Amino acid sequence: MPDAATPNPGNAKPFLAAPKPFAPEDEASLREALKRCSPSAFESAVQYRKTGNPEHVPAVVIGIIERFVEPDLRIKLKDADDDLRLIEDLGIDSLTMMEIVILVEDVLQMSINNDELRNLRTVGDVKMFIDCKIRGLALPKPTKFLPIEQIAAVMPIQPPFLFLNEASVSSSGANGKYKISGQELFLQGHFKNNPVMPASIMLEALGQLAVLFLLEGATPEPGKVISSSMIYFTGCEGVRAHRVCRPGDILTLSIKPKRMKMPLATFEGSIRVGQEKAAIAEEITLTFGYAEAVVPQPSPDAAEVNGTASTKPTASGATPLRAAASA
Amino acid sequence: MPRVFITGLGFITSIGNDAVSVTQSLRELRHGLELYPPFQTPEIPVKVAAPVRGFNTASTDAEDWTFPAGISIKRELLRGMSPHVVYAWCAMQQAIADAKLSETDVSNEATGLYAASGGSPYLMGHMLERMHKLGVMRCSPLGIVASISGAVQFNLVAHFKIKGSSCGFASACASSSHALGFAYDDLALGRQKRMFVVGAEDGNMDAILPFAGMRALSLSTDPATASRPFDTGRDGFVGTGGGVVLVLETEDEVLRRGVTPYCEVMGWGQSSDGHNVAISHPEGLGLRAAMTNALRSTGTAPEAIDYINAHATSTPIGDASEARALRAIFQPSGARPAISSTKALTGHGLSLAGAMESGFCALAVRDGFMPGSAHINQLDPECEGLNIIRTTLSQQPKYALNNVSGFGGANVSIVFKQAR
Repeated sequence: MPDAATPNPGNAKPFLAAPKPFAPEDEASLREALKRCSPSAFESAVQYRKTGNPEHVPAVVIGIIERFVEPDLRIKLKDADDDLRLIEDLGIDSLTMMEIVILVEDVLQMSINNDELRNLRTVGDVKMFIDCKIRGLALPKPTKFLPIEQIAAVMPIQPPFLFLNEASVSSSGANGKYKISGQELFLQGHFKNNPVMPASIMLEALGQLAVLFLLEGATPEPGKVISSSMIYFTGCEGVRAHRVCRPGDILTLSIKPKRMKMPLATFEGSIRVGQEKAAIAEEITLTFGYAEAVVPQPSPDAAEVNGTASTKPTASGATPLRAAASA
Repeated sequence: MPRVFITGLGFITSIGNDAVSVTQSLRELRHGLELYPPFQTPEIPVKVAAPVRGFNTASTDAEDWTFPAGISIKRELLRGMSPHVVYAWCAMQQAIADAKLSETDVSNEATGLYAASGGSPYLMGHMLERMHKLGVMRCSPLGIVASISGAVQFNLVAHFKIKGSSCGFASACASSSHALGFAYDDLALGRQKRMFVVGAEDGNMDAILPFAGMRALSLSTDPATASRPFDTGRDGFVGTGGGVVLVLETEDEVLRRGVTPYCEVMGWGQSSDGHNVAISHPEGLGLRAAMTNALRSTGTAPEAIDYINAHATSTPIGDASEARALRAIFQPSGARPAISSTKALTGHGLSLAGAMESGFCALAVRDGFMPGSAHINQLDPECEGLNIIRTTLSQQPKYALNNVSGFGGANVSIVFKQAR
């Protein structure tokens, strides 16, 4: 197609290589497009468009997301970690996501495919996605969200000794939630007339999240699969409990891999209740082994940014970023 | 068959943004016309319009819009709205409060919503321009929802969680009377217990000025007389917009909830001219048949009708046609119902007209007045023998009738009766 006004969808060239000259009228239209965003988003957009430097992109993307979030929820974005969820935490529905995309496309002069949007569930996903698009890099594995049914389906640990209600797993770590129901058997005795979640069980919950990461998020050696029946606890360092946790508290668990070399994987972990620090473990080390079966290696271009990237539904089967037009 | 009553009203109109101020304007014959600022350029020969006050929806970006104090609409809702949807949304809240409906009264399978609007030519135009300029994938995701003619019910049904019947009616200036008529049928047939009836129009430049091409608009530069139905000097209609919502309920619901209705909806009749795509039948045959059908189906004698809110839009052909139809129905029995066109005050609301003027009838029947037909300097001889009231009468009509006519020669007449 000779018409240059029609960009080739999904095949954005890295703009780093050839930033377009940035004219004064571009700045005016950028100001108009970003008029409801923070001044810093506008400034960053101008810098990006002038220099092509991807370091300015996160501020633009956050600024655009913020503009579409209801004012009372914007506070969440102020000190957001990358795990902040677009739908659940920020109330962004699929149509709002489309509005965000259209504005991002307009401001960053790129084009984004519907298929590419499906896996974007967190602020971190969006930042990573845009960054990869701009740098022309392959997209990372999407964050997987696992409800309790799926957690139980893959874990070697089962109720009543499973201390995760839901979890999200990405290639860089895992997050989970566990609500202390008060029905846990051990709370009858820990303590007498004073139910307190044992710190050892909180450490266990972190360990379980690390197990889930090994099974769902870790990238083992090519052709290998970590066996769910060969993961065991080996040790931990620097464990400190900061807060007494009781029935009704929702534990927000987080682990990140520090080192991983067969047969040992070491993680750091932390637990919060709301914004309060509840416990940390500087190191939790698990041992693991590979299953016998050999899986086919993914074809090397499967993750290329070529617009025909995997259209496979996400693990949860949800396609939240597809507008549900019933017209 | 269950009897049907009007139990709630909501108004965003050129003569007032609530029932109290609308009643006052009707009683005192205060009009809502002005030299409409967007028309005051040399290229536009039309100067007068009757805009809704207190709302500024001039921008194509809904987030720039401003509303009267006390009204705020979340961005999430606003993005699927056009100006007329905002008006209808406000009127809907008034009507719900007026009818004292709880959330569960509004949202259940026996409560529906019928609506009418011409859509938003303004936002549609903006969206298409954007599409042609920037490409199809840069259209606003909700541009369609906000601008096509169903916009008003898409939004209201979703935001007020309506679970019963819902659809829109498209018979131009007869639309919202069709909505009311079919809502009445749904209640009378036992399909629903409660229906919201909504009429709404943007009433801005893009909604009004396309009528200039067919020479339907008044070129008067005097807001005080530009709209003068039944006057010999009338030269076209004056455009208006707004939103009006009526709550219709069955007798059982009225009794169960213990509310006092405005009036009873006795029934309705319709017919078509089968004559011209845009011009009324010169003898008013279609409208005559609609009135005949309405009177027959409600078992009402012509002489029982006390007040008629005429469709008369202040166009030379349309008003004369309606005058002939009225003479044909009422003169044989010697009946002389009071007749007025409140469009002298409001301007012509297009799809909004039927709902707005049915709302006026409900106010008149409950509050005991008949609004005069304003701005008549010299009565058209076609109206000879008709009791066209020039001033407001402080008499309570027992029976009132509302007429509308739309493009294609669609005509609807609705009969209202005192609730007691």
